[in-house]
Amino acid sequence: MSDGITHPLEDDDGPAETLWAGTGRASKREDSERQSLAQILNLIRNGTANTRLELERISGLGRAIVADRLETLNQLRLIDEDELGHANGGRAPRTARFRESQALYLVAVLEQGSIGIAVSTIAGKLLLEHHEPLDALAEPAAVLKRLHTLFDWALEQHRKDRDIWGIGIALSGPVETSAGQPFASPHLPFMPGWEGLEFVESLVARYGAPCWVRSKIEMMTAGELLAGSAQGAHDMLFVDLSREISAGLVLGGKLFKSDQGRAGLVGHIAVGEDTTTLCKCGNVGCLEAVAGADAVARLALQAASGAQSPHLAEMLQADGEITAMSVGTAALMGDTVSAELLSRSGRHIGNTLAALTNSFNPSLIVIGGTMAESSDILLAAIREAVYRRSHPLVSRDLRIVRSKIGASSALIGLARSVADEVFAPNILPRWILQGSPVRNKDTEAVVAAIRTAVTRSARNLPPPFERTPA
Amino acid sequence: MNKPVSGLGPHGERPAPASALKITEEQAAELNARRYTVAVALHTVGSDWSRQVMAGLAATLGRHSAAITEVADCHFDSVEQSRALERMLMQRPDAIVSIPVDNAAVAEAHSRIEAAGVKLILLDNVPTGLMPGKGYTTMVSADNFGLGQIAAELLAARVPARCTIGLLGYDVDFFATHERQIAFLRWMETHRPDLKVKQSKFESKEKAGVAMEQLIDSTPDLAGCFVAWDEPAVRAMAALNARKLNIPVTTVDLGNDVAAALASGPLVGGIAAQRPYDLGVAAANAALLSLIGSPLPTWIALRGIPVTRENVLEAYQLVWHAPAPLQLRNAVRQRSHS
Repeated sequence: MSDGITHPLEDDDGPAETLWAGTGRASKREDSERQSLAQILNLIRNGTANTRLELERISGLGRAIVADRLETLNQLRLIDEDELGHANGGRAPRTARFRESQALYLVAVLEQGSIGIAVSTIAGKLLLEHHEPLDALAEPAAVLKRLHTLFDWALEQHRKDRDIWGIGIALSGPVETSAGQPFASPHLPFMPGWEGLEFVESLVARYGAPCWVRSKIEMMTAGELLAGSAQGAHDMLFVDLSREISAGLVLGGKLFKSDQGRAGLVGHIAVGEDTTTLCKCGNVGCLEAVAGADAVARLALQAASGAQSPHLAEMLQADGEITAMSVGTAALMGDTVSAELLSRSGRHIGNTLAALTNSFNPSLIVIGGTMAESSDILLAAIREAVYRRSHPLVSRDLRIVRSKIGASSALIGLARSVADEVFAPNILPRWILQGSPVRNKDTEAVVAAIRTAVTRSARNLPPPFERTPA
Repeated sequence: MNKPVSGLGPHGERPAPASALKITEEQAAELNARRYTVAVALHTVGSDWSRQVMAGLAATLGRHSAAITEVADCHFDSVEQSRALERMLMQRPDAIVSIPVDNAAVAEAHSRIEAAGVKLILLDNVPTGLMPGKGYTTMVSADNFGLGQIAAELLAARVPARCTIGLLGYDVDFFATHERQIAFLRWMETHRPDLKVKQSKFESKEKAGVAMEQLIDSTPDLAGCFVAWDEPAVRAMAALNARKLNIPVTTVDLGNDVAAALASGPLVGGIAAQRPYDLGVAAANAALLSLIGSPLPTWIALRGIPVTRENVLEAYQLVWHAPAPLQLRNAVRQRSHS
């Protein structure tokens, strides 16, 4: 990065080359102007510098060039330069501020059993979020239709004639990092029914903006790093205890991303001597199958039906179902069977995390996901097992905490990830002179072609959500 | 219909029931010795809902020797609420219970509370950018998503096939009403795709009548309507009455006026009732437990109750913790004899 600060989500060499936001072809002089504009905008956007003096010092550009570029950025409505900064004797300097509210991102996290959406500023600050349950067995086309409906609703609340500059979607499962192409659906072998759905194309066509797909675990980890319990952490392990169990890793302050996007499948590490519990991956004895939310719910249902736990039986009668959350509630109300189920699950998870702790020596483990919300008993059992089973040298200063930002973590991580794509040093110079990554002829041509290609009627989707004319 | 909580929390949390907030005898003794102080900032103190919340809060806090030192009526005004919270912070209560009247507009004022070491228990809404454990301790609310579904189901039973119905929504960025409206629309889309839904919005409850008139003017074939809560619903029904339109309305909250209308006439098609007294009890318990360091779930949700003419008296007792007023009992008696 040219601005000299650490960007926890970005790859060292920026996102993969794509053809969006223009080709970037320009004369040498114009190219130099674009580069310096992009450099100054990113310094202001990242909060690295906001006065002319600081911009000159950090960018190495001359006073006249900085003044000229600030004027251009002002005219492009990308910054405001009105407020007065701190005076070090003499007149207070004017400060430049990134106009983060001039456009929006749409982000969504799709999980088995729920959907969460948000609208954010182009700095990645969430303006509105909504989460709702979704039938875990819902057809992919129905899920996509619901996503469109919720995005449309969110825009009705917050659009105010603003353009959408990017869309981010997080999915439960490994998404290849090479899925950096923002106009085509990635290969999703782990999501039956989604192959060939062209969901990225449908979102691009509907909202006129590029769309990036990311793995949920990576985005949750990023969100924790940006706004959650792991803010500023150097080496951190984030564990998502939902229907699936997966982990994200932060090493040296940066999110670890494997090329194939499949790192962190800790739910498929074998636990104990279990040789009978079949996992959906085809193996037996996987952590997820033995100690995940579905396993806890299944064992609780047996306890409720077999009259071992009157508490659980009562819950089953009242709600018609037993979930890991209801087991947590029953434990809180003194049900010993539920408490033991959560302890058992926590011990298995803790033993697995102890092995990871020995391997990576994180200073912090953040436990998130729906199971983490269920009970303190689970967290206590995880802690106890990790501290007992990991080497004293790695557990001495280790903290284990519960996530406090829930499913918002993925939305926060996504909004930042989209911002990193839109303002990437190799992308920003392409569109900066137009003042918008979506209002240039190259992007508009790609979007128009996708709109023509998308066969909406076959997918039973609502008509496109029209962009307001400039 | 005794359904589990069907929505998710403001940050996607799964619901924890109010019954999870139990104060043990040992904790009660500790609370009695500490004599905590609590301030309350409400959107309004003039509604039936607010009076019930306050009753639940006061009774529960009083039982544990905690005093309510201030109750601010913010009149649905974000500036007024920000000022009230600033004033409260200067008095240094141990906890503040607040219903944020907006999202972004009151975010800064709310974010100062926990930063100043005062526990913040939110009701029904979370200001933009605040996160549990950092900006606030917990949020207590009804299952607003479930309330929207109940209201939709009640209305669907009262309208014919292939007609147009209305949704009179609140035009303020507010979690609880957003959830009700989204759930209403989703239920209709899933279960009654034959119905067309026309939406209109009001910025304040006083303008609900005007919004209803606009909806009537633009929708000549309007066959039913959902209004986001009871007070604007009463105004919307006045607009329908003025036009001599006899179409069913469903809403949320079992206020006295709308309960009387449900019992006495055909206009109210059903009510999705919250339990505001129990909500006040839950908020008080959450505040007390947080003050003695007990970990809390980040979203505590109370399920709603479907209320029809048939169960209005029992529902009233459940919601209000009191017998139904004489007028309501008489109306039910008269209808059952007619």
